[in-house]
Amino acid sequence: MSAMLRAENLHHRVATSEGPLTLLNNISLQLARGESLAITGASGSGKSTLLGLLAGLDKPTEGRIWLAGEEITAMDEEQRAALRARCVGFVFQTFQLLPGLTAQENVMLPSELRGERSAASRAAEFLARVGLEHRLHHYPRQLSGGEQQRVAIARAFASFSGGDGILFADEPTGSLDAGNGDKVIDLLFKLNAESNTTLVLVTHEQRLAQRCGAHLRMAAGEITAADSLDGNDNLSEVSI
Amino acid sequence: MLPLKLLFRDWRGGELALIATALVLAVTCVTAIAHFTDRLSRAMEQQSLTFLAAERVLRSSRPVDDSWLQEARERGLKQAEAVTFASMVAAGDQFQFAAVKAVSDGYPLLGTLEMRSAEGAPGRQVQHGPPPGEAWVEPRLLPLLELQLGDTLQLGDTTLTVTGLLDREPDRSTSLFDMGARLLVHVDDLAAAGVIQPGSRVRYRYLFAGDDRALEQYFKWLKPRLTEHQRVIDLREGQPRVASALDRAERFLFLAGSLAVLLASVAVGLAARRYGLRHTAYVAVMKSLGAGRGKVLAIYLGQLTALTLLATATGLLLGSLIQSQAVNLMADFFPVEPPPSQLSPLLVGLATGFACALGFALPPLFRLSRTDPMQALRRDWSNPDRREWLGLVLGPTSMLLLIWWLSGSLAITTALFAGMALLVGGSALVNQLLVRGRLSSLGGAWRIALGSLQRRAAFNTLLIAAFGTGLLAMLALVFARTALIDEWRMQLPEQAPNHFLFNIAPHEVDPLQTTLADNNIGSTEFYPMVRGRLIAINGIPAKEYKKDQRNGEPNALRRELNLSWTENLAPDNRILEGEWWDKTDRGVSVEVELAARLNLALGDMLRFSIGGLEVEAPVASFRSLDWNSMRPNFYMIFAPGTLEDFPATYITSFYLPPEQKLLVNDLVRNFPSVSVIELDKIIQRIRDTIAQVSLAIESVMALMLVAGVLVLIAGVRASIAERLQEAAIIRTLGGRRRLLLQSLVLEFGLLGVAAGLLAAAGAEATLAVLSQRVFELPFVFHPMLWLVGPLAGALLVGSAGTLACRSSVSQPPLQVLRELA
Repeated sequence: MSAMLRAENLHHRVATSEGPLTLLNNISLQLARGESLAITGASGSGKSTLLGLLAGLDKPTEGRIWLAGEEITAMDEEQRAALRARCVGFVFQTFQLLPGLTAQENVMLPSELRGERSAASRAAEFLARVGLEHRLHHYPRQLSGGEQQRVAIARAFASFSGGDGILFADEPTGSLDAGNGDKVIDLLFKLNAESNTTLVLVTHEQRLAQRCGAHLRMAAGEITAADSLDGNDNLSEVSI
Repeated sequence: MLPLKLLFRDWRGGELALIATALVLAVTCVTAIAHFTDRLSRAMEQQSLTFLAAERVLRSSRPVDDSWLQEARERGLKQAEAVTFASMVAAGDQFQFAAVKAVSDGYPLLGTLEMRSAEGAPGRQVQHGPPPGEAWVEPRLLPLLELQLGDTLQLGDTTLTVTGLLDREPDRSTSLFDMGARLLVHVDDLAAAGVIQPGSRVRYRYLFAGDDRALEQYFKWLKPRLTEHQRVIDLREGQPRVASALDRAERFLFLAGSLAVLLASVAVGLAARRYGLRHTAYVAVMKSLGAGRGKVLAIYLGQLTALTLLATATGLLLGSLIQSQAVNLMADFFPVEPPPSQLSPLLVGLATGFACALGFALPPLFRLSRTDPMQALRRDWSNPDRREWLGLVLGPTSMLLLIWWLSGSLAITTALFAGMALLVGGSALVNQLLVRGRLSSLGGAWRIALGSLQRRAAFNTLLIAAFGTGLLAMLALVFARTALIDEWRMQLPEQAPNHFLFNIAPHEVDPLQTTLADNNIGSTEFYPMVRGRLIAINGIPAKEYKKDQRNGEPNALRRELNLSWTENLAPDNRILEGEWWDKTDRGVSVEVELAARLNLALGDMLRFSIGGLEVEAPVASFRSLDWNSMRPNFYMIFAPGTLEDFPATYITSFYLPPEQKLLVNDLVRNFPSVSVIELDKIIQRIRDTIAQVSLAIESVMALMLVAGVLVLIAGVRASIAERLQEAAIIRTLGGRRRLLLQSLVLEFGLLGVAAGLLAAAGAEATLAVLSQRVFELPFVFHPMLWLVGPLAGALLVGSAGTLACRSSVSQPPLQVLRELA
């Protein structure tokens, strides 16, 4: 199985007023198509930074990353954005729905950014898949937290323009109560399985991490443990 | 299409309305002012040209070559003629000196005559004089000649029928040729009358009007042909007082327009900054969904362009509507119907819309496009881009260029730049004070308020500068308007002298004073007057004395001057150098501008020829005076005791109320050798014009005050969200409403005081430059400015801020937090 995501010797440092600060130190990993990976760790351990680098939102100080077979560390910002528009979906902790847009318009946004004409029907279809067909024209402020996150999930899946897709989720249940959190996670895994997308998840919750095929534990910018939970060897190349 | 879709969605969400409102406001204000200024200044110019009854006048002491007039006709110019002279008029046994004016067909080219065909009939505006064989007379001539309308009178050898009473003529002059009651006749009757003989003192006025270019070219052609007896008069020379009032009013309106641009730019800048901040999350999310910087930029530039077009169009429409309504409302006050709107104010509005949008909204949008998509993960919505210089340079530069273009005045642009520089420098200083201030000793509301100010010190610099700009514009405009209008009122006080008496023989002084006193008329001093020619300066004959090359030979050396003497310095005269007669007892005091033209120094010896005798006197002082004071004034005033031996006549001026107008007839009858100059009608016309200009200025100022208040509101709105959130958190933690309310009032009040103080400093600097360079008024320090500035700041900003943030105090904190989330 070919790797959907591969990172080699990632280092990331930022300049601060107290001198350079190392956020990530020598991270390598590989993830096959359709698999899921959970990244856990305490606050400040570098999980979200790693997620951002893997998704091409930023460039590492050192190291190389391949996403869907293309080396994103060799790309400029515009090229990375084009790649994201094609095959990357995001789910954020605080939903990040645009408050001025209705649920449907929020889900339409990725398709519209790609210039697709069928954006509205595609958005309605995804909202129906997350059970919000009756909330198409509601604004985020008119939706509950759980509903907002379901809209965000619909938007994430609408981000893929066919072919390979990889979903990055940053603490998707972090702003929800346990009941709503469970529903959202069930939905996320259900859609993931249906669409055969690859999933990278940052979370605090062990419960959630255990549902993923692989699990990285991080501390102080380094990987402290890597498990392949379902016994397969997809993580055989994860280096610590 | 995507930018438009997003624009529409954003609009519905209420986000873009902020920038749009600011832009609409900017364009509306500037368009309305530009329209209004344009129409008003053209109306005022048209009206003021009626003072000449033409656009230009060629004045000559003898008839001009007919080919000159032929040339004008060939160039398509309208042309008419008016000949004025003083002549005896007879009716039966009665004789009277009259100011005769003979006019051709076509007179007046501009403006109208007001006449009546019967006594008691309503006045009619007509644009022609009497036909040949008829005469129109000023009403007071009838009793002097014991005439009725329809009777005949004798002008030289011709008999004319009096068919009209003349109440007003547009170009009534104040010259010596025009003394006495007016008799208006047709120019064709002059030959038969035979009153003009070689050597008669006659003034020929040739009136021209037509296309500006044709006029310009004709007078360019004419100029080299003019002799020293001929002069071309335009409005500036014809009515310097009106011209100067119009000039200043026009500059004031341009200033107001420029300030509107300034205010509008600040409003747009604040709104765009807030929009940019609020959209950081949008852009971070869009970028994480795959939008590159180019795409983001294209979306926002597309939105900005569409928004600017929409807002500008709305502003142009609103501005045009407002000005037409304003003009309609004030129609009764305008003696002349304002000409229709032109295209140029719309271009001004359009340029304002785009300059504000590009200069002030573009930099925040550029910054927005550089948003780091990682911010979506970090949930950090700050705007870390440090390239603020683009905003700092592009905004003010585009604003100053626009102001320069609008006002056409480098002085106005410099004045505003000076004021703004002071304001921004001061804001930075306040920022430093806030950052370094120690607040630990303060308690309660003060601590919360000052703490909040300190936390937002950097943004407060911007806010103080914005509030300050609003206040500066309002203060500068109110004080400039007050100075201008006061100056005009002072120049023409209600009871300014409106009649001059001269040629008063010494023995007539006492009886005249008694007559005036009996009629409760207060006059100015009776000044003795001797006519003399300045023939040498320091022994150098006047003919050789041509020191001032710029102005050629000073006029004062070519003609006789009125010389006077007096013990007392007139109230409108001021000694600038040297000494008055209380300190020295010999010499002559010279008007300062003439002294400069003659390059005189104190102590220079001036030799005068008076009736063939010579008198020499040293220059004892230089004296400024106010030619507009309507009092007798003199270039040369001698020390008492120098000229007493020469035969003198006296001159005085007085205010005659309209209801006592017939007293002039008594004076003419009882003192036949005394000449009367009646200025009442012309003063009334000047006063009407100035009242109209003042009204225009006040209405434009009212518009500006509204714009200023809107900037304050935009400023408050720009900072509201963060303050609401903090207040809600403090309340959640148990803070009392009263405490919060007090701290809000204090916080905005302090911002207002700081902005008000800086605005006062900026306005003082602006006014200093404006008064000297633009309005040509003396510099005055304005202590009131320093009181009104901080007070108005505290009151306006304090109340606007507290009102805007009152929901944080009145609503449950949870609701506030939810809404903000």
